[in-house]
Order: sequence, then C-alpha cells, then structure tokens
Amino acid sequence: MRTTISHEELDSLVEPTRLHKRLYTDPDIFELEMERIWGQAWIFIGHESQVPKVGDYFATNITHKAPVIMVRDKEGKVHVLHNRCAHKGAKLVENRQGNVRGAFRCPYHGWSYKHDGTLIKIPNEAGYEGTGFDINDTCNNMQPVAQMGSYRGFVFATLSADAPDLKTWLGGAIDCLDNLCDRSPEGEVEVAGGVLRYEHECNWKFILENLNDTMHPMVVHQSVVQAAKDYIDSLPASATRERSEAEIILPFGSSYENFEESGITGFPYGHHYDGGKTSIHAKYTVMPAYHEAMVKAYGEERTRDIYSFNTHNTLYYPSLTIKTAVQNIRVVRPIAVDRFVVETWSFRLKGAPEEMLQRTLLYSRLINSSAGMVGPDDLEVYRRTQEGLESTASDWVEFHRQYGKDEQQADRVVGGGTGDLDMRTQYKAWKAYMSGEVFA
Amino acid sequence: MSDIDIRAIEDFLYREAALLDRPDLDSWMQLFTEDGTYWMPAAEDQTDPLNHISHMYDDRVMMEIRRRNFVHPRASSKDSGVRASHLIGNIRLAGKTDRGDLKVTSNFHVVLWYRDEQRVYAGTYEHHLVATGDGWAIRHKRVNLINPEAPQRTLIIYL
Ligand code: FES
Ligand SMILES: [Fe+2]
Repeated sequence: MRTTISHEELDSLVEPTRLHKRLYTDPDIFELEMERIWGQAWIFIGHESQVPKVGDYFATNITHKAPVIMVRDKEGKVHVLHNRCAHKGAKLVENRQGNVRGAFRCPYHGWSYKHDGTLIKIPNEAGYEGTGFDINDTCNNMQPVAQMGSYRGFVFATLSADAPDLKTWLGGAIDCLDNLCDRSPEGEVEVAGGVLRYEHECNWKFILENLNDTMHPMVVHQSVVQAAKDYIDSLPASATRERSEAEIILPFGSSYENFEESGITGFPYGHHYDGGKTSIHAKYTVMPAYHEAMVKAYGEERTRDIYSFNTHNTLYYPSLTIKTAVQNIRVVRPIAVDRFVVETWSFRLKGAPEEMLQRTLLYSRLINSSAGMVGPDDLEVYRRTQEGLESTASDWVEFHRQYGKDEQQADRVVGGGTGDLDMRTQYKAWKAYMSGEVFA
Repeated sequence: MSDIDIRAIEDFLYREAALLDRPDLDSWMQLFTEDGTYWMPAAEDQTDPLNHISHMYDDRVMMEIRRRNFVHPRASSKDSGVRASHLIGNIRLAGKTDRGDLKVTSNFHVVLWYRDEQRVYAGTYEHHLVATGDGWAIRHKRVNLINPEAPQRTLIIYL
C-alpha cells in the first residue's frame, strides 16, 4: 500500500523526548508501519520445536495480513514460505498447526507442492501446453520469504532482501536468547504446554513501551501485590509453605530504587532489556534438583554465571519479547491500528526437572493470561491511553526521563532502570525503519 | 444414582450462578470445599492443569487473592464493573469421580457486561460435588469454553 505521508512529515512525529499521538491513532501510519517496520525487520515466526516431524507446519502472519508457514521438510530443514498458492493465491493451510503428509495440496484447483515449496504437479496439465507457461519456473513454486534464519531454534523471517543476517541484526541483545537456552542443562529449550492468545484493543506499540516502563508496576499492579501480600501474610504458620505465586506476584511491587538499580540496555534496531545484574525475577527459588543438573552440566562457576545474568524483559523489536529467567516469551501480532494479539509461549528447559516447566506455566497463567492477575491491568491502562489520546488537549506524549544521561558504549547504550532509554532506543529504530532506509 | 435428587442439584447450580451474576465472590467462594479448585483450560480436552497452560486454575488461596484484587480500589481493570447473566441447561449426572465425588455436567451461556459492552461466553461446566450436612459443596469446577484456543479478551471474573 502506498500512502502520501512524506519523509518530513513522518520525521516530525518523533522528537527526542516527545511522540505525536498519530503514532497510535492514525490508520495510515499503521499501514506504513506494516510495510516499513514489519515488512523489513526480522519477525519472530516460531520455534523449531513446534514442528518436530517431517511435514509439521505452524502458520502465522508476518505482518498484519501476510500469511506465512513454518514447515519442516524431509531432510529435516525448516522453511518459512508464503501461505499462498502460486496459481490464483489461495492459502495452502488454514489451521494454525498440523502436518502436511507428502505434499501441500491447494484446496482450490489441486496444485501440489513439496514441503520446501517446489511445485510437484498441476492436475490436467495438458491445458498449459503451448501457452508459454513453464511448470519449472520457480515463480510457480510456493514462494519462500526473502530471508529466514534460526538462532538456537528461534526462527525469524524477513520480507526484506536487504536486511543484514539474523545474528548481526540481533546484535548484543543475542546474549538474552543465549541465556534463556543456557538455563537448560542441555543448552536447549523446546516449546511446551500450549499457548495463550490475548486480544488487545489498542495499538501494538503500547505493549512494547510497557515492557521496560519500570515506573508503572508499583502503580498498575499495586492492587494485586497488596491482595496477595496481605492474604498470604495472614495465613497461619501451618499454611505458610512457600507459595510460588508469592514469589511471582510480589516483585511487581518492587520499589523505584530497585528498578533503577536494574538498569536498561539498548541496542541498534530497537532491541533492549532491563535488568542484567538483577531483576524482579532474581530472587526465584533455585530448585535443588535443577541446580544439581546445571552444576553437572556446566560446573559451579559457569552455572553461577548463567543464573547471575538475570533480565526482566528483552525486546527484539518489534515482534518478540522474552523472559530468560521465567522461560516464557510473548509474540506480538498486529491486526489494526487499535488491535493486536499477544501470544504467550512457555518453554521446557531440556534436562531440567518438570517442576521448572510447571513454574513457567504458572507464571504465564498468573501474569500473562487474559484472565490473569497482572495482564488485564496492563491492558486497561493501554486502552485508557488509546482512548485518552483522542482528546484534543494535546497532540503529544512525552518521554523525558533521564534524557541526556544515557551512556554510549561500543555496541550498546546503558542507563538507569527508571529512565526512558527503552523509549529512545525503540523510537530511534522506528524512525530508521519508517525512513525506508534502515538497511541502506 | 437413583437416590440423587436432580432438582436439588439444579437448585445448587442455579444458586451458584446467581452469586456469579451479581457478582458476590465472597459468598461464591464459600460454596467450595477447603481443597476446592476452579479450572478454565486453554485447550480442548485438556487433561492436565499443571503441565499445560490454562486461562485460570485457582485453589482457595488464589480465589481469595483474586477476590481481594477484584474489590481493590486501585485495580483499574475493575473500575468499570462487571455484571453477568448465566444460563445453565442440559444438566446431567455423569457418575462419580475417582475420589467418589458426584460429577455433574451442564451447558452454559454467559453474557457479560464489561467496559460498556456485552460479550458472550459459551461452553460446558463440569462440577465435582461433595455432599455436606445440608446440601452440596464444590470440590472442583471445570469450565470448558467452546473456543479455549481462540484469542481471548480480558476476563476479570469467574464464569
Ligand atoms: S488457487 Fe491453488 S490451485 Fe488454483
Ligand atoms: Fe505491567
């Protein structure tokens, strides 16, 4: 889609410390974001463990509309293909996941394709004879995306042929994907326990901005922290067995000082995380059986190193946010200027006791579920913002916190945990992507 | 099973539904046994609440935390309030559970009014009931949405 928003106009919407409300409310801006951010960046598609067997597929959208399929072929290689028949365009698969036995078969006129997308057969092919149609022309295959890449099983794809390779694009933020996987005694994770899908009636950028907005938890989540703390404290000593719920919920009430101390680190292309030395997940119980497996695999010192890199949220702008210490991820799927879906996937640390997965699932359920104790209050404030921004009182939102105090290091920018470094990082990327010349 | 008065069971389920309609979580929780649980799976025919994700899986401690949060003045997702209308039908006795509780299945349609909008939830309930001196208590309530895998919107109350 082509719009008429000029570079100057786009540029004027993002100031160093203010954002124009059109970023959240203007459908033309949204369409342009889909084309220039989601249509260029490496977008998280899924994890290889979601397609363990030959012919297994997982279908999703790479932009608000463009349907793609992650599929495993006979050689065990994972592909990301456009979910579109080369003939007249029908989607090849409709379900979110399944298995394609032998070949993709189009439900419309029956063209069939190998798992890697190569056209195999057209019914009643004789009709094409002498028409100039070439069945061997690769344009008659299911088309691969411009580039796909996998890092430790995390599969990304981009619609841009100009994007740098995945590892370069991930940059220093790759440490967090490594840390998530290293928390497995076998150094490998796999998706387990299903998915939660949570519809958000607001602009997709609100959740990204909220991840490392550490000025909000003690306000937005005050009620559940108080409810949990007061009640658990009131339980008789006989009932005070450690409840994992307390460990998970109470740190959302951490002080400004604690969050400031955890720090924020930003990278090129909009990636950032908060925490590192410490985070709100740093005090989780280390289960003895897990610790034993870790020490056996890595030795004491390396094990301590792995635990001690403790981040809260890492954003791989714009589609993926991970929690290394919790072992779950959230995937953002925009739909319209005021609508998106968040998927929460949980991971099993291979070689770790099942209690670890159970804690991950408990976290996902308590915090990220649409019927959870934390997520609904986050969504409520996003919705209030979406609605409030329609006010004519002002065209701007501000993000001045700790402006001018960020420290530029070799490959990253570091700053205080309660500053707006995360905002500066992602909106620098927003501007670069929207200019159309991010990979120039 | 002939000694079970199905009318009394129906009355009990209607009374439970009426408490959720208001909603009066304080009284509703009292219908559960001390070890009672409430489960809303996130997948069809889900067999396990711990090794698979669920929308909700609460014991009495979590129910009380949820209740306190529900009425907390600073829980902004609860500012707009919620009202519900539960319709329960097709109530059937479905035998006994392994621990000898009475298993009762039913269909529900719930219309929720929340944030100035009406939403519809539908599915089946499975209640595990324990006889008490003067009636029944809920050991387990399972809520099977017809669309547990679909993107869900915020749900701030038990169904
Ligand atoms: S559209 Fe697929 S075979 Fe015709
Ligand atoms: Fe939050």
